[in-house]
Amino acid sequence: MILKNHLSLFVNKITNYLLWLLFLGNLTYLIYNFPNVPEWYYGNVLKINGFTILIWTLVTFFSAIISSYGKNYLKGFEYHSKFSLLCLGFTFSIMIFVMSNHVSLLLTMWLLMGIFMSQLIGVDSRWGEAREASKFALKYFVAGSLFLGAGVLLLAFQTEAFTLSEIISKLSDVPQSITLIAGLCIITAAIIQSAIYPFHRWLLSAMTAPTPASALMHAGFVNGSGILLALFSTVLFASNTLIILFIIGGLTAVIAQFTKLLQVNVKQKLACSTIAQMGFMIMQCGLGFFNAAVVHLLLHGFYKAYLFLSAGEEIGHSKPQKPTPIKIKPLQAIIVLFFGILGAFLFAYLTGKGTELNSSIFLTLIVAITVGQATYNIVKEQSLNLFQKSFLPPLLFVSGMVTYALIYKGVTVLMSDMPMVVVPLSLSVFEIAFGILFLAGFFIMKLGVYRNYPWLYAKLLNISQPYKKTVLMYKSKSL
Amino acid sequence: MINPIIQKSIEEASQVVGKTWPLYSFVTSNPLSGYEGMPFKNAVNQARKFLNANVFPETNLFRQAWEKGEIDEKVLLELLKENQLLESPEYYLKQMATYKKSDATNNHHDLDRIMAKWLAAFMDEGLAEWEMPNKSEGFYSAWRKLAVYDTDLPKMTIGEIPKTNTEALNEVLNGYSAADFTKIFTYHLAALPGWTGYINYRSKSNSQWQQEYPITLEDYLAVRLWIAQKIGAEIYPEGNDSLTISSLSSLQYIWLKAWEKSWQKELINVLDNQQISSSTAKKEEQVPDAQLVFCIDTRSELIRRHVESKGHYETFGYAGFFGIAMDYESLKDGLTRKSCPPILNSAYHVSEVPQVSHTEKAQAYKQSNDVSNFKEYFLKRMKNMLPSAFGYVEGAGFFYGMSLIARTLMPGYLYRLNNKNRADYEAVFEPQIRNTCTTEQAHITIPLEEKVAIVKGAFDLMGWEKLAPLVLFIGHGSHSANNPFGSSLDCGACAASPGRHNARMLAKIANIPKVRQALKENHNIEIPNSTIFIGGEHNTTTDAILLFDSEIPDSHKEQLQKLKLDLLKTQQTATQERLGVANNSVSFANKKANNWGETRPEWGLAKNAGFIVGPRELTKNNNLDGRCFLHSYNWETDKSGKALEAIMQGPMVVTQWINNHYYFSTVDNEVFGGGSKITHNITGKFAVVQGNGGDIKMGLPLQSVKQSDEEMYHQPLRLSVIINAPLKRVSEILERNEHLKNLLDNEWIYLMVMDPLDGNKIQHYQQNLNWDSTSQKSNTNNVVEMMTT
Repeated sequence: MILKNHLSLFVNKITNYLLWLLFLGNLTYLIYNFPNVPEWYYGNVLKINGFTILIWTLVTFFSAIISSYGKNYLKGFEYHSKFSLLCLGFTFSIMIFVMSNHVSLLLTMWLLMGIFMSQLIGVDSRWGEAREASKFALKYFVAGSLFLGAGVLLLAFQTEAFTLSEIISKLSDVPQSITLIAGLCIITAAIIQSAIYPFHRWLLSAMTAPTPASALMHAGFVNGSGILLALFSTVLFASNTLIILFIIGGLTAVIAQFTKLLQVNVKQKLACSTIAQMGFMIMQCGLGFFNAAVVHLLLHGFYKAYLFLSAGEEIGHSKPQKPTPIKIKPLQAIIVLFFGILGAFLFAYLTGKGTELNSSIFLTLIVAITVGQATYNIVKEQSLNLFQKSFLPPLLFVSGMVTYALIYKGVTVLMSDMPMVVVPLSLSVFEIAFGILFLAGFFIMKLGVYRNYPWLYAKLLNISQPYKKTVLMYKSKSL
Repeated sequence: MINPIIQKSIEEASQVVGKTWPLYSFVTSNPLSGYEGMPFKNAVNQARKFLNANVFPETNLFRQAWEKGEIDEKVLLELLKENQLLESPEYYLKQMATYKKSDATNNHHDLDRIMAKWLAAFMDEGLAEWEMPNKSEGFYSAWRKLAVYDTDLPKMTIGEIPKTNTEALNEVLNGYSAADFTKIFTYHLAALPGWTGYINYRSKSNSQWQQEYPITLEDYLAVRLWIAQKIGAEIYPEGNDSLTISSLSSLQYIWLKAWEKSWQKELINVLDNQQISSSTAKKEEQVPDAQLVFCIDTRSELIRRHVESKGHYETFGYAGFFGIAMDYESLKDGLTRKSCPPILNSAYHVSEVPQVSHTEKAQAYKQSNDVSNFKEYFLKRMKNMLPSAFGYVEGAGFFYGMSLIARTLMPGYLYRLNNKNRADYEAVFEPQIRNTCTTEQAHITIPLEEKVAIVKGAFDLMGWEKLAPLVLFIGHGSHSANNPFGSSLDCGACAASPGRHNARMLAKIANIPKVRQALKENHNIEIPNSTIFIGGEHNTTTDAILLFDSEIPDSHKEQLQKLKLDLLKTQQTATQERLGVANNSVSFANKKANNWGETRPEWGLAKNAGFIVGPRELTKNNNLDGRCFLHSYNWETDKSGKALEAIMQGPMVVTQWINNHYYFSTVDNEVFGGGSKITHNITGKFAVVQGNGGDIKMGLPLQSVKQSDEEMYHQPLRLSVIINAPLKRVSEILERNEHLKNLLDNEWIYLMVMDPLDGNKIQHYQQNLNWDSTSQKSNTNNVVEMMTT
C-alpha cells in the first residue's frame, strides 16, 4: 500500500513538472519567434508552424493547470496516477494531432484523443455508471473517427496523396461530388466531437469524470473540432458546405442556450453552455472566420475550465424570487443604443470585422448586442451612482474588446500561413435570417416569454437528460 | 381528504427517512434518527435491509485499527470468548473479509430515474433561471401538468392522470390490503432516501421554498406509485420480510465493541493519571490574565492546549451558540439563518445596527455590498442571455485565464490579499437582540431579566468562580474554497453557521452595566468592574483567532495587545501540531483555506469519540488528539443539578447526533455519506449528486472521514460520555429524562460517571440505570440472541 502510494505520488509529480515545463517551453518559443514562427517539416509525416505551437501552448497550459489542481483535488483517489497518465496521454495525442501531416497519423491521433477522453470519463472503474458513461462516449468518438477516416481517406485515395498539405494542394482536381461527401464526413466528425445537437448526449452524460477531467474535456477536447475545421477549411470551401456549418451551429447555439436556462445541476448547466458556445464557434467557421473560431475555442477554454474548477461554489442559501419584469426608460434606451453602436464601431476598428458588407457584420452585431445588454444592466441598477453608470460600461467593454482584439490579431498572424482561414463570405439570406433569429432569441429571453410554454420546458428537459444507463443504473447490495 | 389509513401508514413508513439537510446549513444529524427509539442493533438492521447499506465498519477498517493497535487484544479475545468464538482475531478478520459488497442492477432503475428527474426540477432553489412551470401549485399538480410531455412515460392525456395526490394513491392502492400499505410505502420511500429526506426536511422546517412551492411525502408517493403502475414497475416489493442476521453482523458487532472498549480504557487511563495532579486546591490560584471560552467542538481541544501554554490563561468549553437560542439576520444577503442547535426553537432574533460612531462607514458598507450583489447578478445575466453569452465569453475569457493561474498557483497569497478586512463588518456594526415573536419593529430589545438569564446560564453551566480582566467568548467558523460542504465545518451548535455572532452578542449583553447589577443583586454573581467581555472567532482551518474588539476601552488595550500576540504564537504552534509540519505552518494553513482544488481543507469533527463533562483540570495536561468534546462543568457550584441536566439535554444530544453522523458516513459512505467529492455535481444550490444525477447525498463526503479511498481517518466509534459528578445526581437526571435514558439503554451512546464523592472512581452505565464499576465486563454475551429478535 505504501509503495503504491509513493509510486502514485511520484507519477503525479513528474507529470505535473513535465506539463508546466512543456507549457513554459512552448510559450517562450512562441513569444520569442512571434510573429514569424518558422515552419518545420519532418518528411511527409510531421509539420510544425505557428498554429501548431499556438495549440501546443494552449493544451499544455490546460493540462498543467489541471494537473496542479488535481494534485490536491485527487489526493487519496485510488486512480490518481491513472488519471495523470491519461491526461498526459490525451495531451500528447492532441499535440501530435495538430502536427500530423500524414493522414494515418492524423486519424490515429483523433481516435486516440477520443479513447483517452472516454477513459477519463470512466476513470473510476469501480463505479458502474462511470463504466456505462465511458462506453457510451466511446461509441460517439469511434463513430466520429470513422466519419473523419471516411472523409479524409476518400480525398487521399482520390488525390493519391497521403499528407494533408498535398491533399489540400490537389483539391481542385477532385470532383465536386467527392469533396461534398468528404466535407460532410468531416463536418459530422467535428460536430460529434463538439457535442453539437443531435450528438450532444455524450457530453451531458460525462459527469462521471472527476471535475478536473471535465475541465480538460470542456477546455481541450470538445473544441478539437475548431482545430479540425481550421485544418480542413479548404475542403469546406471547396465542397460549399460552410452554410451547413453555419446553420447547424446557429441552431445549436440558440437551442442549447435555452436548454441551459432550465438546468438544475451545475455541471449539466455548464455542459449546455459549452454546447451553445461550440455552436457559436462552428457558426464562426461557417462564416468563413476560422481564426475567430480558434480565438473562441481558446477564450472559451479559459472560461469553461475556470467554471468547472470552481463548480463547488454553487451552494447557496437564497429566497424564492419571481422574475422581475423588464422595463426600460427612453433615456436608458438611448444610452443602451449609443453604447451598443459605439461598441460595434470600436470592435470593427480593432479587429477589422464588420467594416465591409459581408458575413463579419454578423459577428459585429453580436458584439453590439452584448455591449447593449451590459449597458442596460448597469444603467438600470440602483446601487450604482451616476459616475459608475457612465464609466463602467465603457471601461468594461473597452477592456474586453482590447484584450480580445489583441488575441485575435495574434492568432490571425500565427495562422497566416494556413490557407483559407479568413475568408469573409458575402451576406446571404441565411446570415440575415440568423441575425434576425438571434435578435428574436434575445428578446424572447429578455422578456421571459418562454416561461409561458410548459411543453417547451418539458421538451428541453427531455432532450437534455443524460443517457439513462448512466443514472441510478446500479445499486449496491449490503453484506 | 386523504384516507386516514394511508396517512397513518405513510407516517409509519417515514421512519425510514432521515433528514437530508441542505448543504448551506449542513447539520450533522443521525441518519437513523427515525429509529432512535429502537436499540442500536435493531435499528441498524432495519437500515441495512431497507437502504442496502453497510451498518458496521468494513473489514479493512477493522484491520487497520487492529494493526495500529487501536483494538486491545485482551478486550477482543474476551469478547470473542464470551460468544463462544475461540479462533484467533486474524482468523476472524479473514473470515469477515470474505464478504464483499457487490453491485447489482437496480431493478427499479427507470422509476428511480424518472422520479429523480422531476424531484430535481421541482426542488431547485434557484440554480435554474427557468424554473419548472406551475411550481407554486405543489409537486403533484406541477408534475401532472407536465407528465403528458414526458417522453419517458407512455403517451397519455392529462385526463388519465388523477387530479390530486389522494386520488392517485387511492387508485394505485386499490386492490392492496391496508396491511400492505406500510410495506409499500417504506420500500418506495427508501428507494431515494436522499430526496425523501429532503422532502422531510422541507416539510419539517417549512422553509421559504416550501411555503412557496410545497411538496410532501404524499405527493412523492402519489407520483411515484402512479408512474410505477403506468410503466409496469414493481409496486409491492416481493421478497422475504424476515431480518436475517448473518453471523457476519454479530462478528462485526463484537469487533466494534472491542474497539470502543479499548478506546474507553485508554481514555480512562489518561483521566486516572490526571487526578493526582488535579487535586491541588484551586481556590488559592491567582486570577488568570484572561479567560477564553471555546465551543465544546472537538477542534477546540487542540487550540485550548496551545492557548494555555502561551501564558497565564484559562480556557473553558461551552456550547458554541453561547446559550443564545437565536436566529441571525445577515446584512450581507438579508437572509435569516438559524444560529443555535436544531433541537432548540429560536427564541431570539439578532440583527445588526451601525455602531453610533460609525454610521457613515455603515452606509459605505451597505453600498459596497449592494454593488457586489449587483456584480453577481450582472455576470449571471451576461452568461445566460442570448447572444450576449458569446460576446461575454470572448471579452472576459482572457481574465478567466488569468484567474485560473492565480487561483491554482497562489491561493495562499490571494487569501492574505482578500482577508485583510475580514473584521470590518463587526467593527462597524453591533448586534442587537429581540424576541422572535415580536413583529418586525426594530429597536425593541428584550427585557432585562432575559438578558440576565442568558449571562447567568453561562455562569451556571461553566461553574465560574472568579473572573479575569479579559473574558473572551470564542465562536468558531471555517474557511474553505470551492467546497460544497463548507458549512459542515462550521459550528454544529449554531446549526452549521459560524459562531461569531452568538459570541459577540453574549459579550455585548454581559458588558451591560444593568445586567451586571442585576446579576449581583438577584443572583449573587459578581462581575468585577475591571472585567470586560469580548467576542471572537476561532478559524478552524487556519487556527487564527479573530477578536471583535472595536469597542474596547483604553484601559484594557495593553492587556489585549499582549493577548493578541500570544494568540499569534498560538496559531503558529497549533497549526504545526495539527498539520504536522515544522515550518511555515501558518502559510500552509492559509493555502488550504483558499485552495480551490483542496478537498480536505481541514478535518472538521473527524475522530470524535468522547464527550467529557467536567473541569478542565481533568484533561489539561494531556493531549487528547482532538477526539473529545469538552464541556466545562463544576459539580460543586451546581447544587441543584440543573446545569448538568441542561448539559445532558442539550450538548450531549447534539454530540450524539454528530457522532452518529460521522459513524454512519464512515461505515457506508455511499449511502449515508456523500461519496467522493471529486465527482460531485451540485444540484439546486442545496445538495450534490454523484456524476450525472440520481439521488442527492445526505451525509459527509469521503474526504471528510477518510485519508484516502482506502485508508481510515475517522474511527467509527459510538460516543463515550464521561461526566464528573456524583453518580446519584446523574441517575436522577436520567430518571427524569426518559429520552436520555433510552439513548443509553438502546446503546446509541455510552455513559461513564466519574464520581467525586467516591474517589473519582469510574462507573459504567449498564442497562436500566444499573452501574458497573468493573467496567470491562461487557454485556455482549447475548449479542447474537438480541440481534435476531
